[in-house]
Amino acid sequence: MAEASHGTGGLTFDKTKRQWPNEMNVFGALILIVAIFEGLGALIMGQSFLFDSNDRFDSIFNEARLKIIILQVAIIGIIALGVTQVIISGGIDLSSGSVVGATAMIAMSFAQVAEVNGNPNPKAVFGPAWMDLPILVPIMVGLLCGIFAGMINGLFVAYARIPPFIATLGMMVSARGVAKWWTSGQPISFPTESYAAIGKGMMPVIIFVVLAVLFHLVMKYTLYGKHTYAIGSNEDAARMSGINVARHKVLVYTIAGMLAGVSAIVLTSKNLTAQSGMGIIYELDAIAMAVIGGVSLAGGRGSIIGTVIGALIFGVIISGFTFLRLDAFYQEMVKGGIIVGAVVLDQWRQQRAARRA
Amino acid sequence: MKKMLLTTGLVTLLGTSVLAETIGVSIARFDDNFLTVMRNGMEEHAATLDGVDLQVEDATDDVAKQLDQINNFIASGVDAIIVNIVDTSAADAMSAAAESAGIPLVYVNREPTNVDTLPDNQAFVASNEIESGTLKAFQICRNLRAAGKSGGARAYMLMGQLSNQAAIQRSKDVEDVLAMDMCSFITLIDSQTAEWSRDQAQDLMTNWLSSGEPFDAVFANNDEMAIGAIQAMKAAGIDMADVEVGGVDATQDALLAMQAGDLDVTVFQDANGQGAGSVDAALALARGEDVEQKVYIPFQLVTPDNVDEFLSRN
Repeated sequence: MAEASHGTGGLTFDKTKRQWPNEMNVFGALILIVAIFEGLGALIMGQSFLFDSNDRFDSIFNEARLKIIILQVAIIGIIALGVTQVIISGGIDLSSGSVVGATAMIAMSFAQVAEVNGNPNPKAVFGPAWMDLPILVPIMVGLLCGIFAGMINGLFVAYARIPPFIATLGMMVSARGVAKWWTSGQPISFPTESYAAIGKGMMPVIIFVVLAVLFHLVMKYTLYGKHTYAIGSNEDAARMSGINVARHKVLVYTIAGMLAGVSAIVLTSKNLTAQSGMGIIYELDAIAMAVIGGVSLAGGRGSIIGTVIGALIFGVIISGFTFLRLDAFYQEMVKGGIIVGAVVLDQWRQQRAARRA
Repeated sequence: MKKMLLTTGLVTLLGTSVLAETIGVSIARFDDNFLTVMRNGMEEHAATLDGVDLQVEDATDDVAKQLDQINNFIASGVDAIIVNIVDTSAADAMSAAAESAGIPLVYVNREPTNVDTLPDNQAFVASNEIESGTLKAFQICRNLRAAGKSGGARAYMLMGQLSNQAAIQRSKDVEDVLAMDMCSFITLIDSQTAEWSRDQAQDLMTNWLSSGEPFDAVFANNDEMAIGAIQAMKAAGIDMADVEVGGVDATQDALLAMQAGDLDVTVFQDANGQGAGSVDAALALARGEDVEQKVYIPFQLVTPDNVDEFLSRN
């Protein structure tokens, strides 16, 4: 044994100390929850939750349900991808829901059509010169809004040294104000056909999956990802080892803001409307998805894959309760329990690992 | 010179404050579509009246904040107060505060629980909520009969926020209509909340559709949810001619959906009328004139036959 550890500073690979990747545990929880709904479905409804028990589809699965499970969490899931990075870097972002609201209003007002059913658009924000614009305009406006809000968050956190909770809380309140001020509360409806295509059908899911894969690779294989984990684990050590911590934090918050902007574009396109109340408490759902997926609020631990599975758990719960025709109250109670339960399990697992080491 | 300017300034200030009547307005939420139309209705109506100033505040759905706003109005000596109450059961404190200061108070749109015991210089202006759900449900019942489905029809219901009086009342209205002999052929498969939101309604409807249950009608507590359900059904390839969909509010989006043949029934709640009516009631009370304590602005049924009349009204 002594020879084996020679040259590694006493750190050897010890099979008994190896842990399952945490994502496997979260995935196990997902399977368990699906199984519970499957069992209750057979018991109460006399039909299957995920499988095609009535022979309505070509495959063995109930495709419609599989689709809605992912579709209904895709938009908040996009936000959660950014929130995950912020939390891994040791911060928090409470502003994403409000940034969605503000971006939705501003971007949508550049995506309107001039005529609806032959009448002039009753919800027109700007004059006719600003209508029927190419799709690139609202997309760029939306992304820039998100980037702008995220960058302000980052600058306050990194350079003004304001705690992230406070800085993003301020943005949460201000951005909601912007959302209401833009049209003094009036909804903005009737986008161009090309804009409506962004969120049509399964497009939100495709956008979510592409972004998830992208940021999974970024977090795992690039310097950006390694620095994010390093800052979250030990900020002073990261600084000593030459990472420009402040600049990196601004980048992380800016990316999170941009993803909130993407989410707003998809949301308004899917619903064909923008309303100043859009995105309320999305930030908490996004944080909950990350936490359920094993992202530690202390920073430095977690992964994009974990958050994606966390989002799927949310989707399964929503669809499962509707499938069983149970009221929304129960859904909220169970959701709350799962959030706390996930952290308790994670803590327990950490302590056990620490004892064994 | 300075003194003279100051005096003339003061005199003009006093002059205007004597001439102009100020009404303090506290609205439950600025980001609610219907309440925004109502608020604009108040402001537009006040602008047509000489010497009437509105000071409008957003209570952001916070009961305590709204009471503070009213006390601030009282402290600054407004001529009358209009409240669109956040919590219908929190009216006692507001009525008492305004009464002891001798300032007239008008509740608008949402019916306070003390509506039958209001002090003399207080009033209530709104539409009777029982009408809205009933008109909608009954029209859908008639449409289903006309479509030859009186042998049995199945329906889903989308409810608003379950803490909200209008959501509870409108859902109860639908259930009451379905209990009538003439409409008892309709059974509700499931009722769930979609929190008044188009996005949540879209997801909820898609969840229902994934069960593959056949259905003939969708009752929604408001138009936004009705539109969300329509978007979900269209995405699933359902022909909207086969399903009766009903909402409440007659928003612009809903009226255009009706013109397009997607929405079958909605109910017009006169937001402008309620807003203007509350301003009139407040002014009349401030001038010591006689006012009905309960002013009801009627709901109106909107179907494809009369949809054009409503296009320019909300």
